[in-house]
Amino acid sequence: MIPAPLLAAAPLPLLQNGLMVGAILFSLGLVGILTRRNLIVMFLSAELMLQGISVSLVAWSRYHGDFGGQVLVIFVLSVAACEAAVALVFVLQAFTRTGRLDSAAWQSLRESTLGRSVDHEIPAIDAPLPVFPRLTPAGVSPAADADAGLQREHV
Amino acid sequence: MSPSFLLVLVPLLPLAAAIVTVLAGRRLGSRAHLPAVAGIAAAAAVAFVLLVVTARSSGGGEHPRPVDMVTTLWQWATVSEAYEPAADSAAAVPGTAVGTDAHAARPFSIAVALRLDPLTATMLMIITGVGLLVAIYSIGYMHDDPGYPRFFALVAMFVFSMSMLVAASNFLLVYVFWEAVGACSYLLIGFWFQKPEAARAAKKAFLVNRVGDFGLAIGVFLLWLTYGTLDFHDTLSPDGTILPGILGQTRLADVSGYVGGAVGTAICLLLLLAACGKSAQLPLHVWLPDAMEGPTPASALIHAATMVTAGIYLIARSAPLYMACPGALVTVSIVGTTTALVAALIGMVQNDLKRVLAYSTISQLGYMFASLGTGTLLGFTAAIFHLLTHAFFKALLFLGAGSVMHSIGGVIDMRRFGGLRKLMPITAATFLIGSLALAGVAPFAGFFSKDEILASLHQKGWPSAHGEHGEHHALVPRLPETAAVGPTLHDVGYRGVADHGEHATAHAAESVGLDALDSPAVWQTLFWMALVTAGLTAFYTFRAVFMTFTGPLRVPEEAGHHAHESPRVMTLPLIILAVPATLAGLVLFTTEGLSSFLAATPSFTAPAVAATAAPAVFHWDLALQGTLAAALGIVIAAVGHLGRRSDGPQLERWLGPVRPFLENRMFIDQLYTAVVIKPVEAVAYLAAMFDRSIIDRLVLGVARLPVSVGNLVRRLQSGLVQRYALAGVVGVLAIIVLLAWRL
Repeated sequence: MIPAPLLAAAPLPLLQNGLMVGAILFSLGLVGILTRRNLIVMFLSAELMLQGISVSLVAWSRYHGDFGGQVLVIFVLSVAACEAAVALVFVLQAFTRTGRLDSAAWQSLRESTLGRSVDHEIPAIDAPLPVFPRLTPAGVSPAADADAGLQREHV
Repeated sequence: MSPSFLLVLVPLLPLAAAIVTVLAGRRLGSRAHLPAVAGIAAAAAVAFVLLVVTARSSGGGEHPRPVDMVTTLWQWATVSEAYEPAADSAAAVPGTAVGTDAHAARPFSIAVALRLDPLTATMLMIITGVGLLVAIYSIGYMHDDPGYPRFFALVAMFVFSMSMLVAASNFLLVYVFWEAVGACSYLLIGFWFQKPEAARAAKKAFLVNRVGDFGLAIGVFLLWLTYGTLDFHDTLSPDGTILPGILGQTRLADVSGYVGGAVGTAICLLLLLAACGKSAQLPLHVWLPDAMEGPTPASALIHAATMVTAGIYLIARSAPLYMACPGALVTVSIVGTTTALVAALIGMVQNDLKRVLAYSTISQLGYMFASLGTGTLLGFTAAIFHLLTHAFFKALLFLGAGSVMHSIGGVIDMRRFGGLRKLMPITAATFLIGSLALAGVAPFAGFFSKDEILASLHQKGWPSAHGEHGEHHALVPRLPETAAVGPTLHDVGYRGVADHGEHATAHAAESVGLDALDSPAVWQTLFWMALVTAGLTAFYTFRAVFMTFTGPLRVPEEAGHHAHESPRVMTLPLIILAVPATLAGLVLFTTEGLSSFLAATPSFTAPAVAATAAPAVFHWDLALQGTLAAALGIVIAAVGHLGRRSDGPQLERWLGPVRPFLENRMFIDQLYTAVVIKPVEAVAYLAAMFDRSIIDRLVLGVARLPVSVGNLVRRLQSGLVQRYALAGVVGVLAIIVLLAWRL
């Protein structure tokens, strides 16, 4: 038995605001996934699109007084979590193979007659790092890390 | 064994022989000549029987009955209700009384019908007889040739085509077999087709003949439009009325049966064009000298005795049509005489024995045309008489030239050999007989036929000189009312002759500009030209004889060990041909056999032609003039060449600057190249350019279009994932916009 006040439909301005927020979130996510080259940020934008959809669903649910939309949001969130797991594994693999989080590193599946669309020459990855100022040590230096060899200098 | 059956056998046997040779020739090997020789020999025997049968049924004497036996084999094509004759046209159906519908539509029907009459019988005898001798000769001449079966198949095919041509009783059939003999000629001239000159010569012969065939085609169309039928003979329509054939008894008996004026002259001139193409007259004579590239027996058969006489046959057959158009007749004579003179002049300076004979053939055919154009019975029969004798002596000369070529290794340039009379006595003797006949020396065959031709020209030029016969040889053929033989169209109520008196004169009064040429002055000029040509004929003939057979013996090195008399299979036809070349003229003239025999031909029993009949008189003055001209020619040739080396300085150097003009054949070939061939080549070049630049570009452009579109579309596959995602987003937006617009 659902209590009556909870079933009351929300007024229209509430819907409109909710949809607008959802639309803005979705568009930002869309633009981000299309334009950003960093794989993590692309994934972030995809998540943002999902959140925008969720907000829209909640707004519709409040408007119609129907809980179905909010139930769907729970589904969406769980799917987003699974997707995050898969996507981040993929990003990690991509990084392992090329050493960079640049989606432009993966252009070789194009038509053989075309050249690279972006980054006509691959920027050097072993540019020298800026020299950081050495500060006088304060306090006790920690012990050497066991797996220091596995870490890279930079990404 | 009725005459109809025999008439069908004459072309059928060589056709069967040709088919057998084509199918089994390779297997027969060196006996591949057997079917052809057997077929042509059987056809010759049948033709002889037909000749006797025709002679018996004509009856001979003063007024021979016309002989006209028609055999219809099958109906080839019929289009019902194809033609509606105008009321007073020459094609109106007789037997329809005044007032009933004379506009009944008639069918276009072509029946494969053969007609036997004296002209046909004579031509068949010539074709099969000379064909048989040539076939026997070829057994020796073509002995080592790899194309041995093909040659005999072609000769048999040719004999079939030519026999059908002269026997056909329908203008369309004549056209079909006209083309067929042209095709056989092409195949025989280009027999050694790997030789480029032979292939070119064959192509030239065919193309020049095509111009004539065009004339024949248009002429046939006009004949159909004018006369409503293409048959020679009369046919019966289903409702019992007679459809008068163009050369059938009903129309021949009708005084106004033939159309004169512009239409009639056009028909006659078109048939003349066709005859010029086939019989190598000016301006279509250029193919015959080049046709000598073919094997000599083929030249003897086709380009001397038979195929080139098809034009003569056509005009002789169409004699009644020509009689209604005096302008066309005089044109025929002018063309013939001019050609005779021009060809004789060019033949004077040729050094190639076969080319001399080729120009001699053109010249003699010109004589025949000159005689046909006189429009008298004497003229027509003289032309056929000359055709007969010419077939014999010219075939003899060609076969003799072939014998010479065969023995001395294929060399034909007279300057390279000489004095061959000791080497090949039989060839020399028969060649001499043939030359005497050609030059017109009494009593050889050519003398009588040439004398008759000169007589026919003379009596047109000087009509009063022929005494009481003068009024018969009026310049415009008088159309007598009583000269009809048998029931006339008038008797059966033919509307066309309802007012026959005025109608006849109305027809005769429409004259064409060409008729003005029919004046005695023109005929006199033609006579003198013919006489001069006779002298030239004797000159170049004996020049060739003396260069070849007299003087010191010189054999070119191509002869090797061949240099001896030809084998008997080749000399036997020469000897056989020498007999009629000697006697045919004398026998046929003194017995008047040929002229009375031919007078029974339906075409020559037309009143217009029969009115010009006159008893044959031997004109001593003309004979003397002819003999003097010939003697002069022989004497000059003897002075220049008798006993001398053939490569010495020639008498003709006295011709001076005219000589290169004649040696280059009066530059006629070059004229045709400049006027006809080069413009056609230019048009062809333009067409090729158009084809390459526009049409080919269009087709290639259509081929390149998908490739270009693909090039554009290929850029979508950039390899960047984000661009693919962008494509998906754009698609979704498009769908949304589309749905929003719909709603």
